[in-house]
Amino acid sequence: MPQLVNEKARIVSNEQVGPRLHVMVLESPQIARDIKPGQFVHMKVPGAESHVLRRPFSIYARDAAAGIVEILYQEVGSLTSFMPGIGEGFAELIGPVGNAWAGPALYAEGACSHALIVGGGVGAAPLFMLVEQLVSAGCATDVVLGAQTKDALVTCGRYEALLGREPIVATDDGTYGYAGFCTVPVAERLRDGSTADGAPYDYVAVCGPEPLMKIVAGQAAEAGVKCQVSMEKRMACGIGACLSCVVDTVSGKKRSCVDGPVFDASEVVW
Amino acid sequence: MVAKPRETSVKLAVDLGGLAMKNPVTVASGTFAAGREYADFVDVASLGAVTTKGVSLNGWEGNASPRIAETPSGMLNSIGLQNPGVEHLKEHELPWLRTVGATTIVNVSGHSFGEYVDVIESLEGTGLVDAYEINISCPNVDAGGMTIGTDPRSVEQVVGMCRAATKLPMIVKLTPNVTDITEIARAAEAAGADALSLINTLLGMAIDARTRRPQLARVVGGLSGPAVKPVALRLVWETSKAVKVPLLGMGGIATGTDAIEFMLAGACAVAVGTANFTNPTATVDVLNGMIDYCEQQGVANINELIGALQC
Repeated sequence: MPQLVNEKARIVSNEQVGPRLHVMVLESPQIARDIKPGQFVHMKVPGAESHVLRRPFSIYARDAAAGIVEILYQEVGSLTSFMPGIGEGFAELIGPVGNAWAGPALYAEGACSHALIVGGGVGAAPLFMLVEQLVSAGCATDVVLGAQTKDALVTCGRYEALLGREPIVATDDGTYGYAGFCTVPVAERLRDGSTADGAPYDYVAVCGPEPLMKIVAGQAAEAGVKCQVSMEKRMACGIGACLSCVVDTVSGKKRSCVDGPVFDASEVVW
Repeated sequence: MVAKPRETSVKLAVDLGGLAMKNPVTVASGTFAAGREYADFVDVASLGAVTTKGVSLNGWEGNASPRIAETPSGMLNSIGLQNPGVEHLKEHELPWLRTVGATTIVNVSGHSFGEYVDVIESLEGTGLVDAYEINISCPNVDAGGMTIGTDPRSVEQVVGMCRAATKLPMIVKLTPNVTDITEIARAAEAAGADALSLINTLLGMAIDARTRRPQLARVVGGLSGPAVKPVALRLVWETSKAVKVPLLGMGGIATGTDAIEFMLAGACAVAVGTANFTNPTATVDVLNGMIDYCEQQGVANINELIGALQC
């Protein structure tokens, strides 16, 4: 396994981008240089001493030359609700942790030519670098994004700029795109094939709430398409030592931090 | 960059019941695996010892998820002693610790009295172990663990059986979840323990009011982290007055000052646990903080601090 670092990262900015959604930009040159799509950082949030545990955050974007990484986070608990108040300062990031999405390697081997990428809520963030790599390699890539409401579709613009067209979108409340869960357009796409040429997909990657991943995994399995999911469990050490974040798989319990976070959907016992 | 303790003229070596430690700092079992995961961050051979995660004879799958919950200044865990079994430890982990030159304490767990002995017997004569820590205090298993460590007769029996199985230094790890820890400590000492380690985690629980569900799949789990430090200090202090064997103190240690407090309360050595999760170089940072304290206070030999509390 490549060396992990605990990098002291200057917080460059920390701005709200949607309802309870924020983007934090951090200066973290080593991690920015080395991180692969799918890997994450384990952050010690500054100024929150009563929180003894770090939090895992996926990388939304990185600029290796500038040495910066971006994380997209949602206020869900007391610590993430504290985070928007953080101004200047330093966070500590352990990284890059975990494995990477297999899509780009599969494309290089000729095992993947049509990819369907599905992001639910903030699950859209760890897929962005994957889509960047797939698109730049020349893989026909469709992106489906789901969100509760139009205002929460904060990654949409960036995906549109990357793809040169709008991603396929669903909102739970019907304020934009398909009304309902993004499993509806996923089912359509798996039935009709790639928007590029109608060819069947040979790779699905999904990240989002576990029920969503479970459904998409089932849809992909039914269509006979290889599917990967990114699992996140409550984590303590984030480096494979404590066995807090285990995922049930067909070959026993595996650590989501270092054996994952990316798993073949067929391996996961939901 | 791999953290190492800094140079000092302070004498740091301690003798934990026959285990020679180059300094008083080890890790709490279960927070550090067998050291390898932390090797990117700290020089594990520079620690007084590495205490490995609890090992049983055969593999254990552990408990269902979620296994942890964060609480104010602490955390609950109910991992449930997941481990691949002693043969795996022997073949894949302990040789690595030897290769890097680490002092090794193996934490021994069991479902039954006999299983503790079986684990020790499979490690005897391998030259891979410097001391055993007998875990009779895990709160997260139904058989073995804390069920043994809360009853003085069971403690005497299992510690006596382990004693008969090895001549290596044997540390017995105590649970705080008892009415009178000194009674358990004396039972372990009488049965042949060379040292006692304390505290294991405090049994607790956390609830999600919104969903009306417990936060841990097993409902209850062990509390650790800075939140437990005052309780741990009190138990180390009480135990130090009740027994003659040296103590390995732990419970919420995150800084050098925390560790010094444990030594003043009567500990001969200390273990860093939950702090490893917050800060992967916590072990070396604690040790460097202890060195700072000794230099500032004119302490030439750290053994001077053991039980030096002035009441």
